[in-house]
Amino acid sequence: MTHDRKTDADKWVDALLDDVASAPVPKPSQDLMARVLADATAKLPPPGGRAESASLWHEFVAGVGGWFGVGGVLAAGFTGLVIGLGAIDPSDVDTLFSFGFFENYDSQSGLSAFGWDLEEERL
Amino acid sequence: MPFDDQTDADDSALLARYARGDAAAARALTARLVPRVHAQAFRMLGDATEAEDVAQDAMMRLWRVAPEWRSGEARVTTWLYRVVANLCTDRLRKRPRGNVALDTVAEPPDPTPSVEARLQSNARASALRDALASLPERQRIAVMMRHFDGAANPEIADRLGVSTKAVESLTARGKKALAAALKGQASALGYKDERHDT
Repeated sequence: MTHDRKTDADKWVDALLDDVASAPVPKPSQDLMARVLADATAKLPPPGGRAESASLWHEFVAGVGGWFGVGGVLAAGFTGLVIGLGAIDPSDVDTLFSFGFFENYDSQSGLSAFGWDLEEERL
Repeated sequence: MPFDDQTDADDSALLARYARGDAAAARALTARLVPRVHAQAFRMLGDATEAEDVAQDAMMRLWRVAPEWRSGEARVTTWLYRVVANLCTDRLRKRPRGNVALDTVAEPPDPTPSVEARLQSNARASALRDALASLPERQRIAVMMRHFDGAANPEIADRLGVSTKAVESLTARGKKALAAALKGQASALGYKDERHDT
């Protein structure tokens, strides 16, 4: 019977696991404890601080004032790229509004954009 | 320098203190964690010298990660358990399978077992180590926590951050995979598996 066979297999694997688990395990040597403690001491951060050097990325984020700073750097970089490519004239800030972001905005189309007006008509 | 494991303090709290430069926390963590880490490595590797190397390596990783440690995300013991299991698995996979020389196997503390019993014991441990190394990580860790640490399913679930049902499934699949990996070896290891031996 399949179930019985599975049980037999489980039994001997369980017995093997139990036998190996019950085998005596030597205690760690004092030499190991001393080596580990020496490592810990070597890596011990200074009081109140961190000995491990932060990654370059963390240093960058901290250096520009956190994630808001990163956002600002990215925005400035993007703007500089746009200006550098000549897409806008830096002397004419109004040019920004000539991209068309706002030209097609219609408050009424905003209200019906998701078909809510149609649903309301059905109601 | 005496080791004091400061039983009242939580591992994460001790690690946070270590990260703030507290040398006493380092001593406490060493006293508390090294015996566990070493025992786990020894059970997986069957070699005292290698187990000590793995224990030192795992603890070094803990010291390094301490400043970045975020309390509440993982238990220190669970994190270490996984590190040790993976370090041992890497070593086992580099070894010739089932080929641990007797002189590299640590003498058991109890000298009474006969040579035959020791050979049998070493053969069983070696076969189990090879089979465990072939399991997926989560199955291997669940089986080891269950059988080597004697942890109950709810405790394993808590340590691994999964449900008790998931632990039951992991251990069941792990043992099924162990049985498959050890197929045909029951008799040679001194067990009776009616499925294959009759």
